[in-house]
Amino acid sequence: MRLKVGAATSVGRVRPINEDAFLARPELGLFVVCDGMGGAAAGEVASQLAIETIAAHINGGTPPAGTQRGFQPRTALLGQAVESANRAIIARASGDAEHAGMGTTVVGMWLADGMASIAHVGDSRAYVSNQEGFEGLTADHSLVEAQVQAGLIDREQSLKSEQQNILLRALGRAPDVLVELGELLIAAGDQMLLCTDGLTRMVTDAELEAVLQRFRGDPQGACDHLIEQANNNGGPDNITAVVVEVQGTRLSGFFSRFKR
Amino acid sequence: MPKLILRFDDRELTECAVGTHPVSIGRLPDNLLVIDNPAVSGRHARVYKEGNHYVLEDLKSTNGTFVNDKPVARHTLLEGDIIVVGKHNLVFTLKGGEQTEDHKQEEALPEIGGTMFLDTEKQKNLLSGLDRGRPSQVYDAVVPKTAIPTAQGRIGTIKVVAGNTGQSEYVLAAVTTMIGKADTAQIRLKGWFKPQVAAAIARKGEGFTITPMGGKVSVNGEKVSGRRELISGDMIEVGGLTLEFTLS
Repeated sequence: MRLKVGAATSVGRVRPINEDAFLARPELGLFVVCDGMGGAAAGEVASQLAIETIAAHINGGTPPAGTQRGFQPRTALLGQAVESANRAIIARASGDAEHAGMGTTVVGMWLADGMASIAHVGDSRAYVSNQEGFEGLTADHSLVEAQVQAGLIDREQSLKSEQQNILLRALGRAPDVLVELGELLIAAGDQMLLCTDGLTRMVTDAELEAVLQRFRGDPQGACDHLIEQANNNGGPDNITAVVVEVQGTRLSGFFSRFKR
Repeated sequence: MPKLILRFDDRELTECAVGTHPVSIGRLPDNLLVIDNPAVSGRHARVYKEGNHYVLEDLKSTNGTFVNDKPVARHTLLEGDIIVVGKHNLVFTLKGGEQTEDHKQEEALPEIGGTMFLDTEKQKNLLSGLDRGRPSQVYDAVVPKTAIPTAQGRIGTIKVVAGNTGQSEYVLAAVTTMIGKADTAQIRLKGWFKPQVAAAIARKGEGFTITPMGGKVSVNGEKVSGRRELISGDMIEVGGLTLEFTLS
């Protein structure tokens, strides 16, 4: 499976430093986006640590035999990688005062053999644009999303809520984080977007869809344009976008596995 | 921030801040403020902000809503008003002690670089209506869009009608079930020229879909090119197997 990848991150126009981090490893089919927070100067440490831990875990790990929690072995391994990132952040944070209280969101996608495994914690998101349209693949672990699911507020109200920045789950907060997993079958031409809330709070889903459509075949162009759009709309937060496009036919993807 | 203090027999049970969102009061667990008492209606009353005031509205409850001992259908709340719902009292106060709204907000929700995180205790307070009676589901208040197999009531089954594979029947327990020669495939194809992954059956909402992944797939004799929804009784042909799909 050949992948065409674009990635971009921006500090935005308000924040002094960029606490977002991303990983794009097309050769592994692994893509991760993290939005760090907290600590004296440690949000960026947490997000970076998460990314490194996940990459190491996937690179050296062996998927469990058989399905777990109803998910494919690869998806289960991605979930374990995120759990190990959580432990790594807690271990680092407990070691010194400078890093105390740091945490991060995470959204990770691992593509292989026609399937994308998805894992997320917090309000960083994954989207897909395929033959069936444009769809969000993750539900934020945030207070407003919980309120929407419970029917207390509607989607429209949630976009205006002052409580949008309140998370219910994040890495680095508790030793037993619940990682949400998902799976998606992918085909040539499908586009996937991973991003932080610095993008999704400034650019609507309809605009995300339009940009992916317009920059089909140019994932880097899509990322750059999305970042620019978020900054033009105020850029109050760090902004990160990773766009992955599945190339070629399934047949060529099948053969490319033997070339590695 | 104004708040409602829930009391029973002069004991303070809990309190609930009244912000920009309405506070629903009732016996059912999906209320923001749950009062689990038979004298309280499922959806009894609500308190919401209107302009600069806070309004109490009775939702046609069986036993009524009272403010300072008078029955009300709609009432603009004043400092110190005592609302009676069943056998419980709710005291409305505009101030949380001596703290101003901003200070209280800061204390309740520590700011962490713009993004705030609620620990379990604070989540319980804020989501008191959501998790009452099912505390283990605090974290599961967010229903994943990507279906989890156990979350759905319907069971998909594949019966092997013809062909050579490991089992005669497969329950589609996973989110994605692979059909192929690969070790990771749940429905294993046998033979030299069989594809590693011929097709995948994926759970989508209440139902299932089949997608060819590297092999020829047909359903009821029709060739499948993209994703196809499966209907109970569908006959699937893939990699030399004939499979019958059942949704029950």
